[in-house]
Amino acid sequence: MSEHPASPRAAEPFEPDGVRWSAVSPRLASARRVSGCVPLAVLGLGCAVAALVVPWSQFWLPAGFFLAATVWTWWLAGRQAAAWAYAEQEDDLLVRSGIMFRRIVVVPYGRMQFVDVHAGPVDRLFRIARVQLHTASAASDAAIPGLPPEEAARLRDRLSSRGQSRLAGL
Amino acid sequence: MAEQPVTERPASGPPSGRPAAADGAWHRVHPLTPAVKSWSALVVVLVVIAQEFGREAVGGSGGSSSDGGGGPGEAPFDIRDLGGGVLAGGTALVALVVLLAVGFAWLSWRMTRYRLTDEALELHQGVLSRRQRAARIDRLQAVDVVQPLVARIFGLARLNVEVAGSGDSKIELAYLTHDQAIGLRAHLLARAAGVTYSTTEAPEAPEHAVFELPVQRLLGSVVLSGAFVTAVVGGLGLVVGAGVAAAFGAPFGSAFAGVFPMALAVGGILWSRFTNGFGFRVASSPDGVRLRHGLLEQRSQTVPPGRVQAVRLRQPLLWRRPGWWNVRVNVAGYGAGGEQQGEGETTLLPVADRNEALLVLSMVVPDLGVAPGEDPRWLVGTAMDGAGPDGGFVTAPREARWLDPFAWRRTGYRVTDEVLLVRRGWLHREVDVVPHARTQSLGVRQGPVQRRLGLATFAVHSTPGPVAPVVPHLSSAQAAALLAEQSVRARAARLAAGPERWMAGPGDDLTPGPERADPADPGGPAAPAAPAADGPPPTAAS
Repeated sequence: MSEHPASPRAAEPFEPDGVRWSAVSPRLASARRVSGCVPLAVLGLGCAVAALVVPWSQFWLPAGFFLAATVWTWWLAGRQAAAWAYAEQEDDLLVRSGIMFRRIVVVPYGRMQFVDVHAGPVDRLFRIARVQLHTASAASDAAIPGLPPEEAARLRDRLSSRGQSRLAGL
Repeated sequence: MAEQPVTERPASGPPSGRPAAADGAWHRVHPLTPAVKSWSALVVVLVVIAQEFGREAVGGSGGSSSDGGGGPGEAPFDIRDLGGGVLAGGTALVALVVLLAVGFAWLSWRMTRYRLTDEALELHQGVLSRRQRAARIDRLQAVDVVQPLVARIFGLARLNVEVAGSGDSKIELAYLTHDQAIGLRAHLLARAAGVTYSTTEAPEAPEHAVFELPVQRLLGSVVLSGAFVTAVVGGLGLVVGAGVAAAFGAPFGSAFAGVFPMALAVGGILWSRFTNGFGFRVASSPDGVRLRHGLLEQRSQTVPPGRVQAVRLRQPLLWRRPGWWNVRVNVAGYGAGGEQQGEGETTLLPVADRNEALLVLSMVVPDLGVAPGEDPRWLVGTAMDGAGPDGGFVTAPREARWLDPFAWRRTGYRVTDEVLLVRRGWLHREVDVVPHARTQSLGVRQGPVQRRLGLATFAVHSTPGPVAPVVPHLSSAQAAALLAEQSVRARAARLAAGPERWMAGPGDDLTPGPERADPADPGGPAAPAAPAADGPPPTAAS
């Protein structure tokens, strides 16, 4: 997970000492590609067909735009999926994401209010699920998409039991 | 109310004279509740009925129909030409609608009942779809007694009990008599505090007035607000523009029609700021901070100790000369309502001078955890109008000037043993205070430009509310260090946090709070010291 090139100075907050990151499933990239690229590709191909059928029309413009967006989404989904990582520490859960816009969240188990496991139709097709930790704050957005279902269930149970033993009030 | 079976006295408590004693039995809300809740609809219906009767009395004698526009739904027809039969039919229809509405209101009143047990406040509601809600008293975050204008006329009040939850998590008891509401509040606070009492009435905690807002200063603060100044400047510009346009032959008034809605909106904001802040009073009591305010709708809030999650002191540019500050807080449960509602509830001081702001800050955050020999007032003072490293603040590096050319010198944070102080803002000055024990989670963000410059933005996540503590554009190393240190400090502070029942000593905390359930808690030395550290006694003595 830590192979992507980054200057050591900039990486500091996102590479805490002694943390072993777990990557999410590579199937997340496929799922995001399907849900993101398919609508764009359909639109692009539709416009391309229209441009072929109606000669001298301006349909080439949107067709080019949508197809370029498809390629870009394809590339971005792979990049973003590779950047998601999480780490279960002694007392906190760490979640890291993003390459251009990087983000790290530290959520103490004792602050956990509840855990969501969510899997949409496309997610289920690719056998992944999304685990989200909720605290009393709306801002602590600790979501881990793209976990295999059994790993998601294990993480959910583990988080619940850890939250129980370290429970704090508000 | 007394003849209903739900109000039968249980064996657990002696019968008391008060109608809403916390005896564990079911009680109904005040019978006038439906009328107060739907007073505007009631007025319309009454007007329609009056008109109908008026017409009936006049009979078929004709007359002008200019007053015939009663209610759009009930009486849209011009009856007089059609003769008495239809007139009677219309009246009957109106009567039927009114009867149904009254019947439904009566049913909904009958189905609404509440009771206060030792552990929870329970409320049952609803005619068709029923709702039963129970709120644990030890999870109580704040208790408000709210009196809208119409309720005030009848001497009624609404009791809002806030527990921490996402979305609409409060219990609203509407409406009780004002005395009942006050009595119930005393019961709730006493039980939440862990005070034991043998009387049927809970003792009302003594309070000590701390702050009263003079109306001149409130008016001044409204006038010296960005919205007001913008409105005045915009209005003058509009008049001048319209005058110039009129000189060239355009109709003078035409320019005003377009901006009328905008003027109305700005006026509404300023008006609500005035009515919310009117008569603002702050008092301290062992039950926490008490706030009273409101011109038309009066609100009396009680926020127990340790329930304030974060504080923000803010000084807009125009308040710098008079030296005024606005103080707002995050309290779990308050932020969940609408934006408008949140503004009324989360304001600790609408406009205060520096000393008052510092005093009230010391009430809600009793221990700033400063280094020995350091003056907490001086420290907060440097946070309020200082810049650079004075006061031990860690500031943003020089690279931050590319992203934040004016405010970067002021951006900074200071960590004490108990709180994180964040200083921000150049024109509008802001200071955030977050106790370590109230930190929910932490985050660091970095965009591409920040990355090039070696900067990162650090955030503390607090409960929903007006305070979102952020330190923008720290150096990456500072942000990394702060992230690591803050998670350790927050963990330690959580373990050492005092009991949820703020008046209960460590010995008589028979039902231990979740903190005590932690087997890893090094109980011995920490537990007795904790309540003294952030308990209410210093507040009460001030």
